[in-house]
Amino acid sequence: MTRRSIEIGMAVSAATFLISVPWLIPALTDNFWVSVITEILIWSLFAASANLLFGYVGLLSFGQALYFGFGMYGVALGIDHLGLSFWPAFGLGIVSAIAMALVSGVFAVRLSWHYFAIITVVFSLIFYFLAVSMKPLTGGDDGINFSLPPVFRFGGSIWSLTDPTFQYFFVLAVVSLCFFLMYRVINSPLGKGFLAIRDNDLRASLIGLNVYVLRLIAFVMAGFLAGVSGALFAFFGRYASASYMFYQVSGEAVVWTIVGGAGTMFGPLVGTTLFIVIREIVSSHWEHHSLIVGLLAILAVIFAPKGIVGLWNGWMTRLGERDAASAPPRLTLQAEP
Amino acid sequence: MSEPVLRTEGLIKRFGGLTAVDNLSINLAGGRVHAIIGPNGAGKTTFFNLVSGMLSPSGGRVFFRGRDITGYRPHEISRLGIKRTLQVKSVFPELSVADNLWITRQAGRRFLHPFRRAASDLETKSHVERILEQIGLSALAGRPAGTLSYGDVAMLEIGMAVISEPSLLLLDEPTCGMSPAETNRAVEKIRDLARTIDIVIIEHDMDVVFGIADDITVLAQGAILASGRPAEIAEDERVREAYLGRPEDEDFVEEAAHA
Repeated sequence: MTRRSIEIGMAVSAATFLISVPWLIPALTDNFWVSVITEILIWSLFAASANLLFGYVGLLSFGQALYFGFGMYGVALGIDHLGLSFWPAFGLGIVSAIAMALVSGVFAVRLSWHYFAIITVVFSLIFYFLAVSMKPLTGGDDGINFSLPPVFRFGGSIWSLTDPTFQYFFVLAVVSLCFFLMYRVINSPLGKGFLAIRDNDLRASLIGLNVYVLRLIAFVMAGFLAGVSGALFAFFGRYASASYMFYQVSGEAVVWTIVGGAGTMFGPLVGTTLFIVIREIVSSHWEHHSLIVGLLAILAVIFAPKGIVGLWNGWMTRLGERDAASAPPRLTLQAEP
Repeated sequence: MSEPVLRTEGLIKRFGGLTAVDNLSINLAGGRVHAIIGPNGAGKTTFFNLVSGMLSPSGGRVFFRGRDITGYRPHEISRLGIKRTLQVKSVFPELSVADNLWITRQAGRRFLHPFRRAASDLETKSHVERILEQIGLSALAGRPAGTLSYGDVAMLEIGMAVISEPSLLLLDEPTCGMSPAETNRAVEKIRDLARTIDIVIIEHDMDVVFGIADDITVLAQGAILASGRPAEIAEDERVREAYLGRPEDEDFVEEAAHA
């Protein structure tokens, strides 16, 4: 098997699995797992936001929950207080997350490394405590519940997220679109600029890249990803709560990303899947399931610094080199020195 | 006389109590290779840092082709066409050799497209391929730059300086740590570049300096000690004293060696 055929096989089977989930899972086990997979998709988008910053620009953010929370509250307050319908509420969630990311990014991306990490935590803590204390508006830790408006109305038929199958496909479509956008950005000229800054920000400024502006763009893009995932999670849970703005939530995204593979497209998805599946299986039998999370994180940092996907890519590269070595030699012209 | 490429007026840089660059007024005419030499701590690299915007001066001004660039930020100065290499080799270690050149070529543009495929930019691609050939790294194009040998990294740095089509190139000890063969390769490349680009070079290897420089400026303790043609500099007593060492010192070293 060559590298390419393995990768195509993986992609096809992953896509087939994701599309068949609403029928496959109830046939195999419980309907409950459809909703777990929906949740995994949402959280993997949230992890992707931490990954965009850490894996591709070299900024370690422990504050992504803030933009997740803004996405969530944008939706909840839009529906509950302003009486918006589905799409305007979705838009409000995303726009408020982007606006918040822009405001905090202007200050945060001036700093790098631990100072950057600290200021992102500080921003998210400020708004966490604000959200907790403004109970009449936000519901504090109890949160606010709302009833779902329909997504589409075609003549007489109504499409709403209350149908678990429709909800699953809606989330799958939005998350896939966001991953596709991120893929396009990473492989664009802008994405190479991000990578250059991650690798060596001094050199990046000397070749003419405006490091500050590029970091700010990345920060706002990451705010967008976190905002979309927060908005989706609000629709999914039909509520918003300040507890999701706590920095522990941000930290989980970082851990999922690192174990799955920072700086890889699908690392966050793999890491999130792993930890949520472990949580769902273990937590009913053993309350200290986060010990497993800690252990896996330590093992990953020591033995697979580029995460599970990084490990896999390493194997694939070696396989690719073996293929190249065993391929019939091509005739090449070499200039004499 | 036409406007010099690079001119400074009373340039000063202090670090706490230390004056690294002391009231330096320098005039570098175009079309020539300038070498800046001087003992360790003479302020050579600090001078480059001031010109390239990595440090802001404590006093004085810097002019590039008549334009006051004092206080500009590094990326702004870079976009004006002043490119530099660093004393400690500095590339993008996890990017491939080709991508190092690719992003360097693109970085001068104001707008980096966020969605177009980078690989579809054929104009940049052909530039990268041509430079790879020129610096002899075509065979290593796909390798992460962090895995290259020291000499190859140095050539890549020169390639990165070239691909951005600078109008003034500041080279900070480009041959430092190179093998003799690599040094020859680099010197040849620099001579080649000098035909179209104004070059200022800091170098410790005197064979390199006297091999490529049209003019030499000697710095000592942040100020100009002497400047002139290589032949004049080689004859200058003060330079011999400050830079090459006094005869007494040499005797002392010899005595110490025999002791």
